[in-house]
Amino acid sequence: MAYRKELGVAFAALATALLAGGGASAWTLEEAAKPYAGTEINVVFLDRPGYRAAIKMLPDFEKKTGIKVKYDIVPYENSRERQVLDFTAKGDLDIALVDLVWMGEFAESGWIVPMDTFLKDPKLADPNFDKPDLFPLLLEAFGSWNGVAYGVPFDNYSGLLFYNRCMLDKAGFKEPPKTWTELKDVFGPKLTSGDQQAFALQSRRGETQSADSFMRVLWPFGGSLLDDKFRSNLMSQESQAGLQFRQDLMKYMPQGIVDYDHAEAVNALAQGKVAMITEWSAFYGTLVDPASSKIIDCLEVAPEPAGPAGRKPALGGFSLAVTSQASDKEKAAAWLFIQWVTAKENAKTYVENGGVSGRQSVYKDPQIAAKYKFVKPMVESWQAGVPHFRPRFPEWPEISEVIGEWGTKIMLGTASLQEGSKEIGQRMESVLERAGYYKPGAKLLQ
Amino acid sequence: MYSRREKRLALLGFLGPAVLTLLAIGIYPLLFAFWNSLHRFILPRVPREGTPWVGIDNYVAVLTDPSFQQSLGRTFSFLLTVLPIQIVLGLGIALLLHQPGASLLRVLTRLSLVVPMATTYAVVGLIGRLLFNGDFGVVNWFLGLFGIAGVNWLAHPTFAFAAVAAMDVWQWSPFCALVFLAGLTMVPVEVEEAAQLETTRWTAILRHVQLPFLIPGLTAILILRTADILKMFDSVFTMTRGGPGAATELISVYIQRIGFRVFDQGMASAQAVIILVLTIILSRLYIRVIYREIEQ
Repeated sequence: MAYRKELGVAFAALATALLAGGGASAWTLEEAAKPYAGTEINVVFLDRPGYRAAIKMLPDFEKKTGIKVKYDIVPYENSRERQVLDFTAKGDLDIALVDLVWMGEFAESGWIVPMDTFLKDPKLADPNFDKPDLFPLLLEAFGSWNGVAYGVPFDNYSGLLFYNRCMLDKAGFKEPPKTWTELKDVFGPKLTSGDQQAFALQSRRGETQSADSFMRVLWPFGGSLLDDKFRSNLMSQESQAGLQFRQDLMKYMPQGIVDYDHAEAVNALAQGKVAMITEWSAFYGTLVDPASSKIIDCLEVAPEPAGPAGRKPALGGFSLAVTSQASDKEKAAAWLFIQWVTAKENAKTYVENGGVSGRQSVYKDPQIAAKYKFVKPMVESWQAGVPHFRPRFPEWPEISEVIGEWGTKIMLGTASLQEGSKEIGQRMESVLERAGYYKPGAKLLQ
Repeated sequence: MYSRREKRLALLGFLGPAVLTLLAIGIYPLLFAFWNSLHRFILPRVPREGTPWVGIDNYVAVLTDPSFQQSLGRTFSFLLTVLPIQIVLGLGIALLLHQPGASLLRVLTRLSLVVPMATTYAVVGLIGRLLFNGDFGVVNWFLGLFGIAGVNWLAHPTFAFAAVAAMDVWQWSPFCALVFLAGLTMVPVEVEEAAQLETTRWTAILRHVQLPFLIPGLTAILILRTADILKMFDSVFTMTRGGPGAATELISVYIQRIGFRVFDQGMASAQAVIILVLTIILSRLYIRVIYREIEQ
C-alpha cells in the first residue's frame, strides 16, 4: 500500500513538473496576445524594402493576435520630425522607429522604454527571443544607449561595395578593389571614359552628405569627427587626408555628384553608367529587380574597401522600440509585435520578402547565403565596426545640417577643404558647447 | 427701420465668426510664436529644461548669425530675379489675351493659366527635379537639339538657383497675367476706343490709358509675391533641399532647418517674427510708393 501511495505521489509530482515545464515552453503568441485582441498600435514606416517586407507579414500577425498594426509611411527626411512632434505632444505613436543617430535623443528624452521591461515579464517575453542571436554590433549601435538596450534592430544596413563585374572584367580586373587607394589610383583611371565613370558616392546635401559621403571617408583614413574631449578632430592629418581623398576621387565620379542621392547613385550603377558604388545593403533588392536594373547578371557585392586605418564600413539602421507615451495595453501589444517581427523564426520570411534581418542565425542557412549575394560581405562587415560611425547624441541632427551645407561646399570648391573643415569644426563645437558637453564632469557619450 | 441695437447685432453676427476664426488661426499662433521667440524653447529638451525666459537673446543671435543674413540676402536676390520677369511676362500675356478675336483660343488659354497656380508647390519642385535632371532631364534634351551641351543644373550653385527661379516663373507668371487681365477689362471701352483713334502706338495707350487701371493689381502682385517668396519652402525643399552647398537656401528653408531639424522653436520663432516685420514694412512701402487710386 505504502509503495503504491509513494508511486502515486511520484506520478503526481511528475505530472505537475511536466505541466509546469510544459507551461513555460508552451508560451504562444496567441495566448500572450489574448488580453490585447482588438488593440490598435501605431508606428511610422519608411518606403523602403525592409518595411515592405514587414507589411507583407502583417496579416499573419493580425490574424494570430487580433492586434491591429496601423502604419504610416513617411519619407525618411520627415520621419524624425513626425516622431519628435508626436512624442512632445504626447501623441498616438506606440512604437518608435529609431535611426542609429536618433538613439541618444530618444533615450535621453525618455521617449522609449528599455526592452528588459518586457523581457522580464514571462507573460510577454517569448522564451525563444534569444537576444544573443542579434548581431552585437547592431544591438549596440542602434538598439542601445549608455549600456541600456531599448530597441530591437529591425531594418539593418551595412555599407557594401556594389560593382558591375562585366565592366571590371572588360577593363582587365578579376577582383574588386581591396583598398580605397587602389579604387582611386588603379581602378579609377581605367574605368572612367566618356560617359562612363568608375565610381559614384552619393553626396546630396542632407543626411546623405553627412552620413554617406563625409563620414565614409573619415574613418578608413584614421580620422574622426570628434576627439576624445569632444573637440573637432577635422583638422587632424588623418581627417584631412580622408577628405582630400574624396576631393581627388571626384575625378572619377559623375559630374553632378553633389546632387546625387541614394536613388541617383543606385540608378547610375543599375543603368551601367558607373562601375562601382558604396551603398547600403538594403538597395540590393533594387539592383536585382528587372524593372529597375539592367545589370542583374553583372552585379556583384563585396565589403567596402579598406583605408590605411583598416576597413571601417558605413553602419546604419533602425530599431523598433516601445514608446513610453503608450498605455500599458498598447505597450504590451507593441512589444508583442516588435518581438514577433524580429523573431528568429520569422527572419527567413522577412529576408525572403526583401528585408535585411539583424539575426545571426538566419544567415547560417545555406539556402539564404546561396540566394543573396550581399549576405557574405554584410555578415563580414558586421563582425567589427564603429558603433558610433556617426555620433548618436541628441545634437547630431544639428551637426548633420552643418556638415550637409559645408560638406557640399567643399566638394563644389566654393569653400576650400581647410576653410570648410574649420567652419564645420567651429560650428559643431558651438553646438556642443551650448549642449553643455564642455562643462566639467559632463558625460561624453556618443 | 432697424434700431441701432439691431444694426449692431447684425454687424456682430456677420463679423463675429470671421473675427473669431482669425483670432484662433491667425492671431493666437502669432502671439504664441512671439512668446516662443522670447524663451529658450528647444522642443526635445523641454521635458528636462523647461522654457526659460531669455529676453531678446534669440533676436540678437538671429541678427548676428551670418547664415541668416546670407539666406535673407539670397531670398531678396531671388525676389529681384523672378518678380520683374513674372511682371513682364504676365503683362505680355495679359495684353495678348486682351486683343480681340480668336475667342475660343483665348478662353482655353485663360483656363490653362490656372493650372500652374493650382499645382501643389511640392509637386512643382518634383517636376523641376525631373525637368532639370542632368542625365535624362527634358531641359538638357531640348538644349541638345540645338547642339548645346547639357548642364548639371541642380549640382551647380548658379544653375540650381536659375532652375528654382525658372520653376517659380513658370508657376506664378500666369497669376500676374490674370491679375493684369482683370485690370485691363476694367478700362472703359469708350476710353480705349477713343485712344485708339488718337494713336496707333500701343505703348502710348498702355502708358496713359491702361496703366492707371493696372496699378492696383500691380501693388497686389508685389505684396502677395513678396510675402510668398519670403515663405517659399515646399518647392525649393523638394527640388534642391537648399543645396548644392547653400546655393538655394532661401530664408524659409533656413527657418525650417532651425525649427524642425534642430527643433529650436525659440530661435525659429524669432526668425519668423523678423520676416513678418520685414513683410509688413515692404507692403507699406509698396502701397505708399506705387499704389494710386484710379481716377475716372
